[in-house]
Amino acid sequence: MTETSTVRPGLGAPPADDILVDVRNLRTSFKVMDGVVPAVDNISFSLGKGQTLGIVGESGSGKSVTALTIMRLLDIPPAEIGAGSEIWFDGKEILSLPEGEMRHLRGNEMAMIFQEPLTSLNPVFTVGDQIAEQVKLHMKVSDKESKDRAVEMLRLVGIPSPERRAKQYPHELSGGMRQRVVIGMALSCEPKLLIADEPTTALDVTVQAQILELLKAIQERTGAALLLITHDLGVVAEMVDNVIVMYAGQVVEQGSVNELLIEPRMPYTMGLIESIPTVEKRGGRLSAIQGVVPSPFHLPPACRFEPRCPYRWETCREVPPELYPAGEGGRLARCHLHLAEASARRDAAVAQHEQNMRTGRRLTGAPDRTGNA
Amino acid sequence: MTTTIGAAPVAEPEIHHRLRRRPPNSIRNGRALLMTIAGFGITALFIVFLGVLIGIKGAAGALPMVAVVTAPLAIVLWAIVRYTRARTKLAFLLAFGIAVVLSLALGFLIVTMSRLLSDPNSIFFAQLILSVPFVVAVAAAWQLGRGVAWFDGTKEKPLKAEESGARPINAPLTVAATATPTALAAAAADTVTSPASPVVTSIVGADGPVATVPAVVQPLLVVQGLKKHFPIYGGVLRKQIGTVYAVDGVDFEIMPGETFSLVGESGCGKTTLGRTVIQLTPSTDGRVVFDGYELADVDPDDMRPLRRRMQIIFQDPFGSLNPRMPVSDIIGEGLLSQGLNDRKARDKRVEDALELVGLRREYSRRYPHEFSGGQRQRIGVARALALGPDFIVADEPVSALDVSIQSQVLNLLLDLKRDLNLTYLFISHNLSVVQYFSDRVGVMYLGKIAEIGSVEQLYANPRHPYTVALLSAIPDADPRRRKKRLVLKGDVPSPAAPPSGCRFHTRCWLRERLGNPENCVTIEPELVQFGEEAGHRVACHWADEISQATVAQAEAETPAIVAAAVDDE
Repeated sequence: MTETSTVRPGLGAPPADDILVDVRNLRTSFKVMDGVVPAVDNISFSLGKGQTLGIVGESGSGKSVTALTIMRLLDIPPAEIGAGSEIWFDGKEILSLPEGEMRHLRGNEMAMIFQEPLTSLNPVFTVGDQIAEQVKLHMKVSDKESKDRAVEMLRLVGIPSPERRAKQYPHELSGGMRQRVVIGMALSCEPKLLIADEPTTALDVTVQAQILELLKAIQERTGAALLLITHDLGVVAEMVDNVIVMYAGQVVEQGSVNELLIEPRMPYTMGLIESIPTVEKRGGRLSAIQGVVPSPFHLPPACRFEPRCPYRWETCREVPPELYPAGEGGRLARCHLHLAEASARRDAAVAQHEQNMRTGRRLTGAPDRTGNA
Repeated sequence: MTTTIGAAPVAEPEIHHRLRRRPPNSIRNGRALLMTIAGFGITALFIVFLGVLIGIKGAAGALPMVAVVTAPLAIVLWAIVRYTRARTKLAFLLAFGIAVVLSLALGFLIVTMSRLLSDPNSIFFAQLILSVPFVVAVAAAWQLGRGVAWFDGTKEKPLKAEESGARPINAPLTVAATATPTALAAAAADTVTSPASPVVTSIVGADGPVATVPAVVQPLLVVQGLKKHFPIYGGVLRKQIGTVYAVDGVDFEIMPGETFSLVGESGCGKTTLGRTVIQLTPSTDGRVVFDGYELADVDPDDMRPLRRRMQIIFQDPFGSLNPRMPVSDIIGEGLLSQGLNDRKARDKRVEDALELVGLRREYSRRYPHEFSGGQRQRIGVARALALGPDFIVADEPVSALDVSIQSQVLNLLLDLKRDLNLTYLFISHNLSVVQYFSDRVGVMYLGKIAEIGSVEQLYANPRHPYTVALLSAIPDADPRRRKKRLVLKGDVPSPAAPPSGCRFHTRCWLRERLGNPENCVTIEPELVQFGEEAGHRVACHWADEISQATVAQAEAETPAIVAAAVDDE
């Protein structure tokens, strides 16, 4: 780690007491052979204590990098955190913390659940030992106490006969059971923030339901804040209060889950929701978002979604959109449709979206097989 | 599709073409060995010829002799292979006898001649060349001898591509060129009300009515009691210590023009079933009838023309494309193996296929790494389409893709189905996609079908507790429909040791509510017709007990933290 331990000059004021995580103007980029990849480009959000926040986006949108930056798990270099980026955690600016203090925070105050439980568990230690190791390190307790704590955690996450399971190795457990172990490990030191990066993507649907219910129950019981990263809008709808939609490294829409998923206000979010197959859309074509996510080396100059956007006009190619207010309750959307002068276009787009949601597009006329990038 | 296709009860499939049986392995190995000898002869000839070229002393002397031995030997061996395919015992014995006698006589002749010429080098060459094929010939004879019982005197001819109903391989691959008998039947299926009642439908082609067919629509694919078991080997001696019952007795049928889906969790055998249906892995037991052809246990040579009609799209767009091949070779490989040897014609067809899936013609020169995930999956679709199939097994074609790309590929599959009159066997774990995409659905659990029915029947009125639980577990993106879910206990048991009786009883919420009735553990429920709804079949003893009320009650009673497994140890 090359960062200094002194508080950087020019830091903003600390956030209010009930805010646990406050990310301000975060930029994370990677230096690679072909240039610089701006993985996360100037995002800001905050997460209150005990609150839940979902980050949604396709692969490559920068949602995992955001989580890793908060945990400070990225290697610097090749990663680079832009000047002016601030991450406040529980009243402290953590980007300027020395690694030693950060290590104390990590596991103790903030914990992360990864997508693939098999790779986040060490295959040569029993699961009980792996949980106990962390407990011993952070809570400064005896061997016996840490082992008891490990068994207790396994019981908490619904693993039957935890005493026996604690003595087993990861390969002896099923996928769902392993993810429970990882959750138990993350919770063992009672963190204030739990980051779950695609916690159920590798699991079957019935096991996914188990894990989601477990996360929900535990989050309610322990009062930890939850930052859930996923590409599945269904999981988001079940789990969180507020949502951030990311596209090509930027936040494109933000709002409460009930409003954002029912009345999306940014064409990308509209497209994502329209493309979910539902029973109403049977017999019709899904209204897919055309094209593919742009390469980070060739981002469109203004609006990054413009080449794929069905509602674009000239302004979209010329002026980069800001996060404009888009409705009640702090709704934000990065789209020129929310400028006052575009209100007619906005109404038309919303009407089109509602139409697509009701029926899907009919399978009539010439085949529409766009797939060329 | 709103017709009542697939509603008829399972009837005995009509077999109107018979294919040759798959020869036993001993015969296949014996044949392979004979081909080895022939190959050896040719190689030897080449080596000696090289020897002559670089001027090894004596090589020139051996050349005519090697030629004399290998040329007739190769011809006779070819004849044997040819006749073992003809599969009459007499022809086989005759051909093999001639081959052995001839090669021994020739060997004797050569050695004698070499002695006469007293050229030590040619003796060495002659002995070297003759000894190896002799050893291999003995092995081949032993192998063929083991399989002799197989020569049952059946005289079926090999299936020709023209007879298989497949489209000509050199015909242009366009939307118009799809009027195969099955396609006509599929078009007819749209107009009939019941597959059991014969309706005369006239098919209108581009030039007016082209045919009047009595449309008793037969299923395109009938699967009966299909089983696929994999042995587990263990110990020092690699003895079989167990069996994975991947697919264990499955029945269903697919009508032409229909999309039939298989859903289930990983490990339930849905992918194995898809692969076994098109004979990518031979089945252990049971029948697969495709358009009147009995497929299980047929000669691979007879399978080849039928392969044009049944293709597969694989799940992983990264693993299923060879990174060392350009797209033209990836797609063209199937065409080549079907005898389209002309490079230009092949490339044209490859490009046609690319265009059909919405990619540019010039992409055929590129390599897989130059494409995004969605484009790769399109290449996978193009590969399946290049042979002009009418039946496609789509094995999780969209699960590896991002949501926005997923819908593009689903749209493409729907368009192709409409334009090319395709029939799909769609395999997926995503119940929302299946509901949107298919006409009928089979829910699989541990190698068996738990429930089968039309999408409407299954999603509105599920009657198997497993189907109910699966449907309840789908996270809905609409927060207005947020509800408490019915969460199953534990994981899917191992298919190597399936539970007794009903395979689902270890996780069944309904059984718990009913006070653990005995018959769930002791009697395996059969897949039987449920109530009045045609085509809705359920494998549950207590299907009548399921109602909206019981499901709602079970959902409400789900504990906050469900145990990870049923603890029976």
